[in-house]
Amino acid sequence: MNSLIKFLIIILFAYFFQNCAPSRFVKPLAKKQQAASFSFGGPIIKFAGAPIPIPFTTLAYGYGITDNITGFGSLHTTSLLFGNLQSDIGATIKLFEKENKFGISASPAIQVAYNVRNQTGFRIWPSADLNTYFHLKAKPSYLYAGVNSWFEFSKYKAHEQPQERHAIPNLHLGYMIVKQKWQHQFELSYLGIGIPNKPGVAEYVGISDKGALGFYYSLIRKF
Amino acid sequence: MRLIILIAFSLLISSCLKLDSNLYNNDNTIKEYQLDNYKGVQDFILDDSYNIPSNLITVFTLQSQAEGESTTTNIKALYIGDASKINSDTVILYCHGNKWHMDFYWQRAKLLAHTNGKNKYGVLMMDYRGYGLSDGKPTEKGMYADVDACLKWLKGKGLSNERLIIYGFSLGSAPATELTATPRSLTPTKLILEAPFGSAAIMVQDASQLNMPADYFTDLKIDNAEEIKKVNQAFLWLHGTNDNFLNYKTHGQVVYNNYTGIYKEKYLVDGADHGEVPAKMGFKNYLEVLGNFIRKN
Repeated sequence: MNSLIKFLIIILFAYFFQNCAPSRFVKPLAKKQQAASFSFGGPIIKFAGAPIPIPFTTLAYGYGITDNITGFGSLHTTSLLFGNLQSDIGATIKLFEKENKFGISASPAIQVAYNVRNQTGFRIWPSADLNTYFHLKAKPSYLYAGVNSWFEFSKYKAHEQPQERHAIPNLHLGYMIVKQKWQHQFELSYLGIGIPNKPGVAEYVGISDKGALGFYYSLIRKF
Repeated sequence: MRLIILIAFSLLISSCLKLDSNLYNNDNTIKEYQLDNYKGVQDFILDDSYNIPSNLITVFTLQSQAEGESTTTNIKALYIGDASKINSDTVILYCHGNKWHMDFYWQRAKLLAHTNGKNKYGVLMMDYRGYGLSDGKPTEKGMYADVDACLKWLKGKGLSNERLIIYGFSLGSAPATELTATPRSLTPTKLILEAPFGSAAIMVQDASQLNMPADYFTDLKIDNAEEIKKVNQAFLWLHGTNDNFLNYKTHGQVVYNNYTGIYKEKYLVDGADHGEVPAKMGFKNYLEVLGNFIRKN
């Protein structure tokens, strides 16, 4: 691979580090139900003239604590390959539901990262998702839309420079195909709403030079 | 259970990929240096009035040895000027950027050889290990050793500290700053940085928008923002305001602000992207700014 391209991927890896997975468990699992998922996808860049998503991968596990609350944890496998242990741990909470029609859920979580290779840099960032989902024609599959953000509470960044941005909001729209045991999740995101994507070393597919569109797919197995 | 096995496997293979070597954009596939005959992409091409007589161009090999290395690495360097007059000439040591090899930077070196007049100053440029025809693989420590190998050569030819100017462009700002802050074989009298890195940490944080440790991605430091605090020599900073690679506010400005030495001067070039500073300034104006800075007591 061309070194420059590898370099761009590294920077992309950093740039949308916080967006390397789709929404988790938009709709809570049933009590005591378990699910495991494999996801891939990321921000879309123009590569050799064609738009492609960066293929970040994650594994996740969820457990229905009650019918309204699902606890989840994940392992970001692409990060791990580069020596960083990254995980998000949280819960999806059903806030409102009109059965088989629509509902609203929230997913507060903490994002944990640690450099295993150097055994340094333990960091935690809070994050939150707010989703609304709609069942089409009373079928189990559903359409969802929501907003997500990571939060940075540090006042300063490297070299005592002020940390000016404390929230990095994203919008997403997805469709969950629900089968008896398996689910397929497709999600389109608009990452970094309002954040200029220039200057930047990669050509993001954004909106008016701001943010980047992202695409994700998850395969979920319930058991 | 399968998930646990998969996680355990992932942990086992963790750390097997390292990013550092990927950060270097070196090209060591060339067979010879072409200089004026080089037809590849370049930031700019000077007209014939900037040509250098062939008897004033010397390409040679140096041995470089970084701390902790048991063997030396052959690196290629290029001197523009009369090497026999280094004991009385002023020399600009040019540390090039991350791209490919010296052929790409030849036009820049030629331009520098016109500071304050044609061939008024000598210009020395080298390919860091792994770049161009230099042997080895690029490393941060090796890059500093390679530049120091050039300083040793200059010292051997009779150059003294007060006639040495060091110029770092982009990645080259790292060895230029490092060897001015913590001198080895010679102590530069002035430091010029064009489109410098602030640090690897700034690079990562600019990209992530979060206060994210740089070592999540790289062990490289390239910590000009801290090293510049040790620099007391006069300092000139040039940067394009439209630099799409190293943002002048988050990188160059931090370096400039952290400098507390005897004299500093900045030149922000309106609308210039990375690598466009000399062309956007206009070559004459660019050389005038450099020339005035070098002449200044």
